[in-house]
Amino acid sequence: MTEDRPDDGPVTVIEPSVRFGLGLAGTWRSRELLLIFSRRQISARYRQMLLGTLWAAMEPLGLLLMMTVIFGLLLKVDTEGYPYPVFAFAGMAAWLVFSRATLAVAGCLLDNMGLISKVYFPRLILPVAAVARELFDGLLMMAILLLLAFAYGYPPTPRMLALPLILAFSALLALAVGLWFAAFLVKFRDIRPILGLCLQAGMYATPIVYSASLVPDRFRPIYDLNPMLWVVEFSRWALLGKEVALSPALFLSGGVSLLLLLGGLSVFSLYERMAVDVQ
Amino acid sequence: MSSERAAIAIEGLGKRYLIPRRDGSRLRAHLKEFLPFAGRDENDYFWALRDLDLEVRPGDVLGIVGKNGSGKSTLLKILSGVTPPTAGRAVLRGKIASLLEVGTGFHPDMTGRENVFMSGALLGIGQAEIRAKFDEIVDFSGIETFIDVPVKRYSSGMYVRLAYAVASMLRSDILILDEVMAVGDVSFREKSQKNIEKLAEEGRTILYVSHNARSVASLCTSGIILDGGRCVFRGTAKDTVTAYLRRVHHYDDAPDMNAAAHDLAAAPRMTHGKHVLRRASTHAPDGTPTNRFRTGGGMLVRIAYEGATVANPYFSVLVQNEFAERVATLHSTHQGGDLRIPANGVVECRTDDLRLGEGAYRLMLDFGSYGGTRAAMVSLDCVPNAIPIRVELGEYVKGIGLDSFQGAAHRSAWRLCDKDTGAA
Repeated sequence: MTEDRPDDGPVTVIEPSVRFGLGLAGTWRSRELLLIFSRRQISARYRQMLLGTLWAAMEPLGLLLMMTVIFGLLLKVDTEGYPYPVFAFAGMAAWLVFSRATLAVAGCLLDNMGLISKVYFPRLILPVAAVARELFDGLLMMAILLLLAFAYGYPPTPRMLALPLILAFSALLALAVGLWFAAFLVKFRDIRPILGLCLQAGMYATPIVYSASLVPDRFRPIYDLNPMLWVVEFSRWALLGKEVALSPALFLSGGVSLLLLLGGLSVFSLYERMAVDVQ
Repeated sequence: MSSERAAIAIEGLGKRYLIPRRDGSRLRAHLKEFLPFAGRDENDYFWALRDLDLEVRPGDVLGIVGKNGSGKSTLLKILSGVTPPTAGRAVLRGKIASLLEVGTGFHPDMTGRENVFMSGALLGIGQAEIRAKFDEIVDFSGIETFIDVPVKRYSSGMYVRLAYAVASMLRSDILILDEVMAVGDVSFREKSQKNIEKLAEEGRTILYVSHNARSVASLCTSGIILDGGRCVFRGTAKDTVTAYLRRVHHYDDAPDMNAAAHDLAAAPRMTHGKHVLRRASTHAPDGTPTNRFRTGGGMLVRIAYEGATVANPYFSVLVQNEFAERVATLHSTHQGGDLRIPANGVVECRTDDLRLGEGAYRLMLDFGSYGGTRAAMVSLDCVPNAIPIRVELGEYVKGIGLDSFQGAAHRSAWRLCDKDTGAA
């Protein structure tokens, strides 16, 4: 469905032909819907929970506690001298946003089938709203993270202002990855568990519970291509002042991320219209 | 914009779905579904809509009728942009809003208020507009007290009323409506029908899908009939309804009002069994053949049958008005006890006070086995349009009279009450 607005009002042309595009213009026109939809996504998650949005913080805190006991106290993982809970949580908050948002984006068409089979709106609103919801949780986690860092003797610094940006980047990366799968997941529902498994593996391929310095140097050129590695490294830089060793892999992985996003957007806009028919 | 330009112009529109034949193995069918080049042929596809050409002028109210699975919903889905067509093209001029279900985007955990804004946004109504009309919406729905309660606690009627109230705020140039009248109680249905009438008067272009022949006849200006994905009829709303009743209910255009006896051996059936009902005739109470009756008068229906060899047999005479709406049911079990009949014979149904308003009716005749309970009733031979009859009011009710779709005829006495005996 394409829409343009000549002088005599909108004209909609409905054709079978496939059009290439990113679907950004239509989404921008419907930004009001995007806003209200994101708001609903956020408030629907915490309806009828006594602690409400506190859960956004409780869940990762529980996870952190377990990790601190196992990796920090029992295995005594080398964190280059930083207190383990802050070290791990700085990486985990960004990772949780990424992995949850990736799954939410990949499942957005299937999860909203009732809606998209009944009413037309720019479909890109669904994944973007899903990301917005995870980003909201991520910002709450950030607040906890700042408190935790303060408790361990890291007072607020201007560096910490970079944290929301880093978080936003990992959300964008999740959009880039998830969009590739969203349309196909409607038909091939196996994708969801497979993706979940890959994300679990990805968590260990990223220096979250351990420090990247543990990885042997000869693997680093490949290891460093992981865009999430840089997200984690920069969060630690923003929070703890841990130095980031810049390498060409940073720019390479940044480029790959951008291509992933552009590719994801076009794959999504190409195939989302088929989702209703193949469900 | 010149006024001649069509609001909706459709050329060769078609939609096919992949439905792999299950001739080979299950695996092969699955492969065909998943892989685009796995030897699909035309037999693996099902055309839900095919070669549709249509022009709708601005201000037209087009009724779309057809049996289930005839492609009505597919057409609306394509035009509202929910699903792409496989072939053809449609050009729509003006702002479009479609209402394919009642309560689009309603979330059970959200309050009525939140859902009004969400649903409005999805239907394309701006937040500022909804805010301005919020009181009107709540007023229309009549659920002021519950507006801040999650909609999952609503009764289904309340839910539908709120959802429809939002939809009634739609003010687009082109409105696509799917069976929206089929919800809510009678008073609410009337309210929504009035709302659609108002929209039509404002000169909006409306596409309206319905099973209800009368609402199409009263709301629409033109109509089309879809059958098996193709448009098989187009014309004025009145002609469309006539043609639809003929196709679905086997109504004939000009029933033979002179013949009082009808041969049913070759008449169209609703059932697929053996033809038990053979001939039927209507008579005045004294036995004279006729098909003109009077409200409050008597009527005899005689049915000749063959091969009625089932347990607990029943016969029934079902009276339908011009829009194929059932207005009366005369059932052989109503007199109590079994009907003891030989395999071949003639049964007579007699009623002494025909409570029908003025107009033309069709008698549907049904034969079957009732098995002791209503649930165990099986229709074995049903002739939908066996005998046409006419009913005149005569002197039974006077004044403004009573039409064939206004319900049963009842005599009533009216007087002014004394103050002290009046209703409290």
